[in-house]
Amino acid sequence: MRILVAEDDKDTAEFIQKGLREAGHNVLLTPDGLDALHLLSTEQVDVAVLDRMMPRLDGLSVIRRARAAGVETPVLLLTALGRIDDRVSGLEAGADDYVVKPFAFSELIARLNALCRRKPLQNDPTQLQHQGVVMDLLKRQVLRDGVVVNLQPREFRILEELLREEGKVVTRTMLLERVWNYHFDPQTNIVDTHISRLRSKLNEGGKPDLIETIRGVGYRMADA
Amino acid sequence: MRKWRSSSAYRIAFVALGAVLLGLAVLGGLVFVAMHVAFTRQLDATITDESRTLVDEFHGDGEAELRQAIADREASKSRQRLMYAVFAPDGRRLYGSLRASRPELGMHNIEFVDPDEGPDEARGLGVDLSRNERLLVAADREWIERIDHTNLELFAAAFLAACLLGFAGATGLAGYLERRLRSISDSAEAIIGGDTRKRMPVSGRRDEFDRLASTLNRMLDRIEGLLENLRQVSNDIAHDLRTPLARLRNQLERGSVEGADAVIGDAIRQVDDVLELFAAILRLAEVESGETKRYFRPVDFTALATELGESYAPAFEDEGRHFLWSIKSGLIVNGDRELLAQAIVNLLENAQRHTPAEALVRMMAYAADQCVCLQVADTGPGVPKAELSRITKRFARLDSSRNTAGHGLGLSLVRAVANLHGGRLILKSADPGLIAVIELPRSSASAPERGSNDPKAAGA
Repeated sequence: MRILVAEDDKDTAEFIQKGLREAGHNVLLTPDGLDALHLLSTEQVDVAVLDRMMPRLDGLSVIRRARAAGVETPVLLLTALGRIDDRVSGLEAGADDYVVKPFAFSELIARLNALCRRKPLQNDPTQLQHQGVVMDLLKRQVLRDGVVVNLQPREFRILEELLREEGKVVTRTMLLERVWNYHFDPQTNIVDTHISRLRSKLNEGGKPDLIETIRGVGYRMADA
Repeated sequence: MRKWRSSSAYRIAFVALGAVLLGLAVLGGLVFVAMHVAFTRQLDATITDESRTLVDEFHGDGEAELRQAIADREASKSRQRLMYAVFAPDGRRLYGSLRASRPELGMHNIEFVDPDEGPDEARGLGVDLSRNERLLVAADREWIERIDHTNLELFAAAFLAACLLGFAGATGLAGYLERRLRSISDSAEAIIGGDTRKRMPVSGRRDEFDRLASTLNRMLDRIEGLLENLRQVSNDIAHDLRTPLARLRNQLERGSVEGADAVIGDAIRQVDDVLELFAAILRLAEVESGETKRYFRPVDFTALATELGESYAPAFEDEGRHFLWSIKSGLIVNGDRELLAQAIVNLLENAQRHTPAEALVRMMAYAADQCVCLQVADTGPGVPKAELSRITKRFARLDSSRNTAGHGLGLSLVRAVANLHGGRLILKSADPGLIAVIELPRSSASAPERGSNDPKAAGA
């Protein structure tokens, strides 16, 4: 992926750049908001990471102006404070996602992956599948190897998110946001509890485990 | 006068004094003029009456009688003294003792010669008796002048007295105002100087200065309370941070010897713990600041509580606890969905954290009077009655729970969220166990349509 990173704090910028390069991505780095706006409108990038506070032009203005100019590149906003105002104003300006500093790098990369994948899937599929697990989104039904698996609504939603990310990591906070619609970390084990239920239902009859736990980060669909 | 420029007490007092004196001067002037005019008119009327009487006498009884009448009047000293003279067309005085020249017709100020005082001014009316004779009746203006003079003297004395009294009063008033204000500013200076316990003096007169002083004192009390709170929080944070950081340090020290990956994993967990603590502190501060109120909107409390019940049932079950929940339909609260969710989550987490396996936890949401209530009750060890009020304070933890996870901020946040929504958190002892109730004001917005009115209940 080609990723634009606009961040004026040198340490953070280097940390992000290094991590993304190690993950095999192409990084365009700038410490300046006006520059970021220019790059966003002229260069072909898959996703952009913008800091909220930048010299010359702040992140929100960059997004607003880019969106006004018809740029549809997915944008992830970095904010220093996870305050409700910040989140609301960021999303209103046209950001697609946001991450609160300080953040774990695994969280950032999982969200960037998700943002990139969201684009081509705009005409929603009616069926998701992975290694014998088939999810019918219209009938709200899950089959594993042709056998119906009865899932609670939240277990269904979790599995749906995991299947949509096609083997990429979905973090705990992403699940809390998407399944529960909570933008705070409740410091609870409800995600883990639901995953363990989902897992035991999917694996019933001694079938191999398809949900891989990435410790301290999240979960992903794995090959058996 | 420097004081006058730099002190509004003096300025106000003297401007007020100046206004009063100006008013007094205008009033005095008006009275003086009015009296002068009135007396002059009265004099003119007397002269006119007298001259009419004499003219009538002349036409009725002839010149001899008139001469006699004038002589009689001049001889009498009883009445206000009028003066008379009759002139020939050539200006010669025919009779009457008034020494003046032949007057014009009508009322005029004339000059005459007083036998005692020399040339003087008088008011005089000239009337023709016949073709050859013109009668002049005049009155000395001296008494009007005397009254004017007396009036002026009286007024000047009164004005002077008013000036002196006013000056003294204004100086006194200004001094008083300045003294009262200075006592407040002295106290403020003392507080600035570091004596934060100092308060504004209250005289007990209950006047506006006292009201100002007590308002300022209330403000100072509030500020001091906040500072105390801040001091407390900083102490607590420092204290609470030291523990995980010290543990982290020990682990890293062990890691530098053993070099194990497991140590790094532990260290990351410790750091995450500290970051969580900071996030919790910031969130609590955000809620307490009340800024999030802007985002309040009607929240389907029934749906929210149901969702949390469904989400938590497996968690309770997996750890061997019993979880029962019942939620009435149609509960609406005006507020912030996420904060309400977090408050309920915190209560459920507490119930999970501080109860033994096999404990029973019940969650209920219902409407009572004007409130929407959410209750979480457990059959755990509960909280000693004496500690009930303490455990909602920041970082407050019971001795018995020192070793469980958490920072002691959970209930503070629940209380802050309840307060933010205009409600409150009530903690009761259930013997055994703890009952926590979040009481929220019911939203005026109408409930969204729901299929049935039956209480929706589910068991674990």
